[in-house]
Amino acid sequence: MKLPVRKFLTFLIPVIACALVPVFVHNDYLMQVFFRIILFAALGLAWNLVGGYAGQLSLGHVAFFGVGAYGLAMFTARGVPVWISIFLAAAAATGFAAVIGLIVFRLRGPYFTLSTIAFAEVLRLGAANLTATGGAIGLSTPALFRPRTFFETHLLSTVQQFYLAAVTLAAVCFVINYATSKSRPGYYLMAIREDEETAAAVGISTAGYKLRALLISAFLTALGGALYGSAFQYIVPDSALSIEISVQMAIITMLGGAGTLLGPVIGAILLLGASEVFKNRFQESHLLIYGILIVVVVLFLPEGIVGGLRHLFRRGMKSKPPSSVAQSPAVAEAKGGN
Amino acid sequence: MDGLLTGALYALIGMGLALIFGVMRIVNFAHGAFLMLGMYASWVLFDRYQINPYIAFIPAGIFLFAFGYLVYQSLIRPIRSRSDFMQILMTTGISLILVDSVQLKFGADYHQTNIELVNTPLRFGAFTLNAASLLSFAIAGVLIIGLQQFVVRTRTGQALRAIAQNPAVAPLMGINVTRIQGLSFALGIMMAGIAGALLLPALYLFPSVGEDYTLKAFVVVVLGGMGSIEGAAIGGLVLGVTESVTSLYLGNEWALAVDFVLFLLVLSLKPSGIFGRQRA
Repeated sequence: MKLPVRKFLTFLIPVIACALVPVFVHNDYLMQVFFRIILFAALGLAWNLVGGYAGQLSLGHVAFFGVGAYGLAMFTARGVPVWISIFLAAAAATGFAAVIGLIVFRLRGPYFTLSTIAFAEVLRLGAANLTATGGAIGLSTPALFRPRTFFETHLLSTVQQFYLAAVTLAAVCFVINYATSKSRPGYYLMAIREDEETAAAVGISTAGYKLRALLISAFLTALGGALYGSAFQYIVPDSALSIEISVQMAIITMLGGAGTLLGPVIGAILLLGASEVFKNRFQESHLLIYGILIVVVVLFLPEGIVGGLRHLFRRGMKSKPPSSVAQSPAVAEAKGGN
Repeated sequence: MDGLLTGALYALIGMGLALIFGVMRIVNFAHGAFLMLGMYASWVLFDRYQINPYIAFIPAGIFLFAFGYLVYQSLIRPIRSRSDFMQILMTTGISLILVDSVQLKFGADYHQTNIELVNTPLRFGAFTLNAASLLSFAIAGVLIIGLQQFVVRTRTGQALRAIAQNPAVAPLMGINVTRIQGLSFALGIMMAGIAGALLLPALYLFPSVGEDYTLKAFVVVVLGGMGSIEGAAIGGLVLGVTESVTSLYLGNEWALAVDFVLFLLVLSLKPSGIFGRQRA
């Protein structure tokens, strides 16, 4: 197989561009905002595996996020080196996802969504009431990064390093999403999304593939949660296990376009960018803009921004003479059938 | 005993959701937000015009009915036939809008509604009951029975059950599905609003007070069995009693966690609900 050099470059160049941002931006507040945007792009991409490709609307992903953050704090407090405890925490989240998955994937539609919320809420209430997790007071999280100099003269601040870690995580998530969109297991997931009964009838192990997607998604989400926890130095149940984070992950992806590669990235930039602007104007009520955005997207852009653009693009193509359009045989066949 | 009293309010909330979710198949994640709206409506009446919450629940209910109908016509109807996925997102969006609009208007402060009745204990032999919760129990009871009778006896209720049984055939029988669905959505919202108004004297009021109730309402509906309005009433009582027993033995802070564990157990062991019949 020929190496897809062009595709690799179109992926690599934006990543390098993102990675070079700290060279030019030294404002800590701006870096903080960029960190959150990229982190949530990564989280959206992780959620996309389950919510987008497999079409399972999970509103409980904060459970994995929280296990990541709390795991980091608790393992480190027991003397495990930070970088090992990050991965231990992610492994714990994956194990937890396996347990959750066995139960929730037997349910469909609203019951699935509700039970994911219920699991996450049980965790939140547990964390708020147990002494091991610091109760409502929470835990302090270890610092993953310290300011360091490189080339003797340049200082890389903590926020800048967190940002770079988020870029790395987002790039990994993106590659996994790409692999999903182009591979057999990914096609199976999409088949499950379109029609679970039919998918099962043609011999796809629907439960197995959904579970696999969830495990990977949980691992990535937990890494994101650990980064978040460490960046804010302190976690409480209402921050690291708040249902708001689950909703945010879902909305970012849906707004950009669920089941698309660029959707979560675009969604994160738009939503967090907008909320940052509104936060400065309206303080507490920036969630209002989330609500309005959701309603508008559901009413007018059910396939998200990427999906909507794709439709526009296709319509534009159709008006041209058909000879100029390179149609795949499958599309041509489908059209002939109508 | 306290459990039964709270349970009646849960039953009211749950029956509202059973109408919307169980019968009409609209997944309403904004149920708690509407409940919160009912609380604020009744609080405004109390705060500005000194109307007792046990009277204010009537105008609050009417307001919520109208508001629910409006929300259905403008936001729910266009997505009625879309996937659960879209309905969940839409109602989550509505919930965020409601909670934050209220926060913008009234601020995030906690409010308390002090009325004499709450501090009036009634003695029945060994039991001491709170006069206020007894009154809300009575009101909730009347409404529960009223709604149940409405669904079973009236023509509109019959149409409603027909749509629940077969949404494809009902319109062929000359039932105006849009009208009935809008009506039952509004009724369900009204129930949530009234429950909110009745809860007002017992709770602190703040914009996100309804959040837990959305989930509790779903727990009640699932406990009682999908699509069963009577089931939801019983489910509400069961939840109320479970919560008060949990509070007694494990402490108040675990009550909600036990709710969810109960919910997950029922869903994974007997998805048709404790009292539900097995559906084909």
